[in-house]
Amino acid sequence: MEQRSDTFLDNASEALKNVEQAKRRDIIATFAPLMRSAAIEGFDEFDTLRQHVKRVREHALDHLEYYLGQFEQQAVQNGNHVHFARNSDEFNSVVLDICQQHDARRVAKGKSMVTEETGLNSFLQRAGLEVMETDLGEYIIQRAGETPSHIVAPALHKSAGEIRALFQSTHDLGARDLPETVDLVAEAREVLREHFLKAEVGIIGANALVAENGYSMLVTNEGNGDLCANLPRVLIVCTTIDRVLPLAQDATAMLRLLVRSATGQAQTCYTSFYSGPRRDSDVDGPIETHFVLLDNKRSDILDSDYREMLECIRCGACLNHCPIYSSVGGHAYGWVYPGPMGSILTPLLTSLEQSHALPNACTSCGRCAEVCPADIPLPDLLRDLRHEENSRKLSAGRWRLGIKLHGWLARHPKLYQLSTAIAIHTLHLFGRKRGSYSSLPMASGWTSQRDFPAPQGKTFMQQYKARLKRLAEQRNEH
Amino acid sequence: MSTSARSEIFARLREISRKASAERIHQDRQALGSAPVPTPPAAEMCEAFLANVLKNQGSVDCVANRTEAVAAIGHYIYSHFRSHRLVAGNDPRLAAMPWRDAGVLPRFGRLEVGEPVALSFAQLGVVETGAVLTWTGKSNPAANNLLPEHHMVLVDTADLVPDMEHAWGRIKQELESNGRPRGINFIAGPSSTADIEGQLVYGAHGPRKWHVILMGKIPAEALSRARAIAAP
Repeated sequence: MEQRSDTFLDNASEALKNVEQAKRRDIIATFAPLMRSAAIEGFDEFDTLRQHVKRVREHALDHLEYYLGQFEQQAVQNGNHVHFARNSDEFNSVVLDICQQHDARRVAKGKSMVTEETGLNSFLQRAGLEVMETDLGEYIIQRAGETPSHIVAPALHKSAGEIRALFQSTHDLGARDLPETVDLVAEAREVLREHFLKAEVGIIGANALVAENGYSMLVTNEGNGDLCANLPRVLIVCTTIDRVLPLAQDATAMLRLLVRSATGQAQTCYTSFYSGPRRDSDVDGPIETHFVLLDNKRSDILDSDYREMLECIRCGACLNHCPIYSSVGGHAYGWVYPGPMGSILTPLLTSLEQSHALPNACTSCGRCAEVCPADIPLPDLLRDLRHEENSRKLSAGRWRLGIKLHGWLARHPKLYQLSTAIAIHTLHLFGRKRGSYSSLPMASGWTSQRDFPAPQGKTFMQQYKARLKRLAEQRNEH
Repeated sequence: MSTSARSEIFARLREISRKASAERIHQDRQALGSAPVPTPPAAEMCEAFLANVLKNQGSVDCVANRTEAVAAIGHYIYSHFRSHRLVAGNDPRLAAMPWRDAGVLPRFGRLEVGEPVALSFAQLGVVETGAVLTWTGKSNPAANNLLPEHHMVLVDTADLVPDMEHAWGRIKQELESNGRPRGINFIAGPSSTADIEGQLVYGAHGPRKWHVILMGKIPAEALSRARAIAAP
């Protein structure tokens, strides 16, 4: 997928101009956290669960060579072909080879962020295959020629009206005008059902791989992934090497965190475990099944200070709770993964040079870390990336100078207090009549959008010291 | 596949991974124990299961035995489709049901395109999430779960398990005695989507309706209490 993360600030300004989309983002930012809270309410041991799953995932990553090997062995024993790919090019080629071996023309695809990462769809399409996304949200944005704006709900940036117009221009609707949302869903269902029945290859992602028995776990509400996994004669499961968990019960323990954090449910409508091709006793299912397991810098991340990022379960809770994501939306981040998790993953999976604006898209409010079901210290990792940005001189020279000056001043508290006292006092003297400033030197970024309130006269430290002094005097009097 | 991709990835992981014997790794995993389970909405299993099925937007019937079950199934398909026909997997438990008593005409096998209703006999019902569990095989063609307009599932109260850990305990018995089924499916509601403006719509791809029939010894008040729990 083409990357535009280097123009994050411009992308964000552009996004803020679309008032209708901004309103929809506000609604999502209000409701998604409420749904998560409601799902967790009454589950007193949610945090214990979070810690348990974290320990299991740390253990699995500590022994990834062992568990990935065990998974491969079990999956092969179950009748699968298991492939490994170091990067996107290898990954896409493996998938295309499988399709070509079966003379496939049509591919039905379930939701998979990994294949967004490798740009699989366009690769297969260039080779002449008809690839259809079957998750409703993914289908809508594929038809519109767009990219996902959210990792769980990829088309939430579009209104029902826009989707209706899209179907009117791309579907053969005759006299039907699809007035309600149910009509839009029914229309997509009908078009996609036909594709499911004709496709020779199904492609799905995996939420987890189970080392002990070689099953992969697939979590959906629509059931589209299951149709991809069961109807076409070839199934390809696309995921990454870090998704392995030791035991089947570890996958369902993770599920308890994932679904509550993503959609506020206790379990999605369909949670399926697939082990391989059709058995003798089966009356349906694929006759050949493949796993394609991508590294794409995951092993580098595992060997770095950012390894906790591999514990991310892709629930989207950090997006739903992030004030920056809610304001600017997913497209502004310019690549596959948006929000706090994306601002860490994008530099790690592409390069910090291309995406160093993203770790700065953070107010350090800490909400993402609070709600992250994998307990990843997201703000800390974002700060570390900013530190790296600074030490690798990727940010503008004046910013680095400003940070250096601030750092020096902050290490000299007396001087810091004196200089802030002078500045605050001056601002107080000149601004007390009007009460605010409409412009200030070196702060045009602030004053271009709003007025700066004139300080009341004393800094926090001055008031704090005065209060301490008063208290000491009172104590002496007694 | 390029063999070099595999060997390179494994070589890299070998460098990074912690060194330990397989036995030691298993011991370490065992030492981490099991995950905590959420408290069920009611202490009594049938009541808690029914409440969770209702919360998952399923509809429910409670019956005491197989005769009542076929009557309830017959009533359901007649009231929705004005028909007595349904498709059911080749499950010996379903074949042995007294269908004639209720005038129901089952066809055993895989659902064909255009057939609107399928019946499955769940291997398990999971109280924790209100999910039914089926695994693929002769008794359960995958198409029967995924392609009908209405999916009906019969659950024996003897097959209720409290949580997913217990479900795996039962699944592992199956894996050991009959091998690994191709698909293990937890189903917890009709197919749904909220991809358009967050508005919840049923029947995204799969069944629009999901009807669960709980069969066996069920406390008299279980269903009404479950409805009270699930009420918004």
